This record gives sequence, C-alpha cells and structure tokens, in this order.
Amino acid sequence: MFHYQQKFEGAMLSCIFMKILEGRPRSYDRRMDKISRGQVKRVKEMVIPEVSEGAQVLEIGCGTGELAEMLIARGATVTGFDSSREMLDVARNRIAAKGLEDKLDIQQMGVEAMDGLQASSFDAVVSTLVLTELSDDERRFALKHSSRVLRPGGVIIIADEVVPRKVIQRLFQTLVRIPMLALTYLVSHTSTHPIEDLPAELKTAGFTIKKEIRSQGDSFALIVGSLPENQ
Amino acid sequence: MNPFKFIWAMFFRLFPCPVPVGLRRIGNPDRKSPVLITCNFYLTVRRLLRKLRGIDAWLLIADSKGVNVWCAAGGNEFNTHSAVSVIKISSISDLVDHRRLVLPPLAAPGIRAKEVREQTGWSVNWGPVRAKDIPHYLRAGLHRNEGMKRVTYNWHERLDTALGTLFPFFFLGAMGFLVFARHLLLDYLAVSIVTFLFFFFTCPWLPGKRGLTKVLFLDAILGILLFVFEVSDIQTNLSVRPDLIIAMVMLLFYGTELGGLASNMPSDLDPFLARLGIGGLGNVAFAGTIRTELLNDFRVLRYYRDACIGCRSCAEVCPQGVWHMDKEKRVVLAHIEKCPAFLACLVQCEGGAIKAE
Repeated sequence: MFHYQQKFEGAMLSCIFMKILEGRPRSYDRRMDKISRGQVKRVKEMVIPEVSEGAQVLEIGCGTGELAEMLIARGATVTGFDSSREMLDVARNRIAAKGLEDKLDIQQMGVEAMDGLQASSFDAVVSTLVLTELSDDERRFALKHSSRVLRPGGVIIIADEVVPRKVIQRLFQTLVRIPMLALTYLVSHTSTHPIEDLPAELKTAGFTIKKEIRSQGDSFALIVGSLPENQ
Repeated sequence: MNPFKFIWAMFFRLFPCPVPVGLRRIGNPDRKSPVLITCNFYLTVRRLLRKLRGIDAWLLIADSKGVNVWCAAGGNEFNTHSAVSVIKISSISDLVDHRRLVLPPLAAPGIRAKEVREQTGWSVNWGPVRAKDIPHYLRAGLHRNEGMKRVTYNWHERLDTALGTLFPFFFLGAMGFLVFARHLLLDYLAVSIVTFLFFFFTCPWLPGKRGLTKVLFLDAILGILLFVFEVSDIQTNLSVRPDLIIAMVMLLFYGTELGGLASNMPSDLDPFLARLGIGGLGNVAFAGTIRTELLNDFRVLRYYRDACIGCRSCAEVCPQGVWHMDKEKRVVLAHIEKCPAFLACLVQCEGGAIKAE
C-alpha cells in the first residue's frame, strides 16, 4: 500500500512558499513549478489516473485551475471552488481560452459552504496543496462533507504536506521549515501547517485508504480514499 | 501563557500572531449561554479571556489571519466569510437553543451583519467596544449604554497601541546608533523613552487637530531651545544639542503616524506616501481604498434619506456617534465632522442609503 518516491520532496518546499506566491495569481503556477522544480505539476499528474474518465469531479481549492484543466483533458466534468477571487479570475481566463466553459463550474466560496453542495452528486473529490491552509476544524468539516457529496464507491484524492511519522524525519522537516517559514511569514504574514495524521482523518470521515504514496522524507503524501460501493 | 507569543504580540503588533480558530468554552456554558465571536490574534484572545473570567459563554474564535479585530476588519481579513465559516464549522447551532451572536462592533467594517444572518440564520448583536464591558453587557441582557458604543483613546490605550506599533522602529533605531554612533546610544534610548511618554500622555491637549501640527508645535519649542544653545555660551558636559535633535526627529516620527496609531484621527503619513506614488507597503494600503479617498477628500460620505429603511445599523456600529436617530426612526448624519472614515456604516447599511461618492 505504501510507496516511497523521492521525486516530489520539492513539493513540500512549495507548500511553504505557496502563501507568498498566492499574492501573485497570474504567475502562480509558473513560480510554484520553478520552486518545486516541476514537482507540483508532477504531483498533479499523479492525481489524474486516479480519476476515472468522464467522472464528475469536485475540486476543493481549485486556485488557478491547472488541475481542473488536466482533469477536463481526461474527459472529466469539474466543479471547483476557491475562496480567492483573484485566483478564480485566472482559472476562468484559462478555461475560456480553451473554450471549455461547459466542462468547468467555478464558485467563489470557502469550505464552510460545502454543506450547500448536493449529496451524492460527485464521483471524485480532489484537493492538492489546500488542506494545509485550513484549520483542524475546517479540514474535518471539508472531509465530512466530501464523503457526503460523493456517490457510493466515490474516491477522494488528496496531495498535501504531512507530518513525517519517524522522529528523525520530523526533526529534519522542522529544521528545513523554520527558516523558510520565517521568510514566508515576513512577506505574506501567513503560514501553513502540515497535517498530523491524514489517513486517520479520512477513515473517520468514512473512507477506506486505497493508496498512499509518500515522498522519501515522508513530508509529502498523495492519498487515495474510497467510499464503500453500497452504503 | 506562551511567553514568546506574548512578547511578539505585545511589541511587534505590526505582524500577525495567530491562535487556532474554533470554539472555546468559557466557564460552564449551557444551551442558553451567550455566543461571542472574536478574532484569532493572540493578544486579543488572551485579554478577552481574562475579562470573561467568572462568566459562562461560548467563544467562537474566527480567522482574522492573526490580526486584531479592528485592523483585520478594516483590511478585510476579518470578514463575513470568517464569521460564517466558524459558525458553521464549530457546529455551535447544535449546542445552543438561541440564535443570537455577540460581535465586537469594531469588526463592523469587515463582517456584514445582514449576510451573516442570511447565510447562517444567526442574528448579530453588536457588543461593547471594550472587552471589559462584556460582563456588564451580558448581565444587562445584551444591552449597551452609549459609553459602550464609543471608542476612547485614554492614556493607557495610547501607550499600549503606540508601544505595540512603534517598538520595532525603536529597535531598528537602536541598532543604527549601536553601529554608527555608539556614544549616543544611551542618549537615544533615554530621549526616545522620555519623548514617547511625554507625547502620548499629553497629545490630546497639544494644539492642533492632526498629529503633524501637534509635533510641529513641540518641535518649534525644541528648535528655539536648540537655537538658544547655539548662540549662547552655556558650557555643559551633557550632549544637549544631539539630544535635542534626536528628540525633534523622534517627535516628528510619532506625530506623522499618530493617525495610524490613534485610529480616531486621520493619518498624515498615508496621504503623503500616496502623493509620492507609494500605494502601499505589504498588506497596508495608502491609496486607492475608499477609506484613503474619503480621508483625502477625493470622496464624500453621502446619505440618501429616501433609501433609509431605519434599520439603525449605522448608528449601532459607528464608534464615534456620527449618526443619530430622528423622530421618524430614520438616521441623521449629525456629526460628520467626527467621522474618521471607519466605513462600518457603509458596510452595514441595509437600505443602500449611505454611499461614498
């Protein structure tokens, strides 16, 4: 069930700098890619095969719509929401440029409005580099409602920064994070926090863990959970 | 108490200092206990908890990005979304029978009462401006007297905000003296402390409306003193001349940004920087916002009586008492001269009767 992969350790770095880059929506994707040496994009590419073709997908925190566009290319229909209007403007322009408006529905809202989404109306919920920005309560709320809006057998795919399980790796992560967090804090006045035990939280929300891919330093994870076929 | 966070929040208030958002129990709250909302700035939450000792209540800490209520509401970081989010996510609706929220009125420039009501079903009651009045306010059945609605700026509030905001600059100044003029470091420290205390204790009684006119008055006196020392032949072991110059510079520094610290006075620095073409630093905007345009007379606050539905929102949230209610239960723009452009009335107006044009 677990795979260790070296190649997306850099995605953790981008998690930390993300808050700075969010102030510049138009160059967000390009800069994120540069900082992570292409690994953020690669993480998103790893999400794609987990979503079945023609699926109806809900994206939590769709940002500039990079992942949404990749999902649409796979034949999915995407409903995305984000709390940042500036980021959504970029996403709308991106989709309009490709003429894919009918495949993407965008809403400006936060996770707290997920209780307004219709139950059992999606085949997949995806979220990359978003949950680390939420508070613990918000994240649990988002996962609870993710399981509610999914049809039986639906999947959730999350890629985000996590707290390593081994003490030595935790120590390493803390040491790497501190100077960068200080810089991010000074520039953007905000920070993110890695998630302690994402698989356990997914299980609490009713998901079974299907796949868990961790980076070599154990600080970044891609987790796929699924709901039972017949509820 | 976290000593590091306390020192950071106390002396480096220009930077955020967040605490986790979510629901906190104060005392032993039950299904009838009041529900209060505040921001997630460390110092605010700490001070609020101290004032609420002995009270049973539910406290919702909403996301304001670790900034205090007023600044975060003005900068749109403490907004409707923060309030709605914490109400829904904390499941407070399952814990109490009523639907009455108590909000700090200084959050009114950010949180729209009408939208909170529409999105959550909770009605908003604007509480007292100062946390110390909350116990009294709750005992009186959510009733405020006029004093609880008004912002004051007494000597300890002046010293508190001024110290919290200016300390990093003192620190930088001290570093500068340490490196370039070490023999004057002690003079600098002594002079800045004396001028700081003197100015912020006496500033309401100094002549002039704006901070700049107040300090120019003081600087003129110090300038005359300096001149007297230059032309006379007084011998002294003290470094009087540099001290006077340091005092004049420090006073100019306090006075120029007094508006930014005092909040009930217009800033002199913001329009000055805006004129130089500097639109903002970091998250702080000097130009282009409705507030700066009102303060610089590019816009005027207008009131359309015909559109007024008499909801009283503006009168409830104005911390300066600019609005009064008349006999027909509509508002009157009674004291426009007191308006410090907080924009709370503009944000809360349910009839669209108040506009900045």
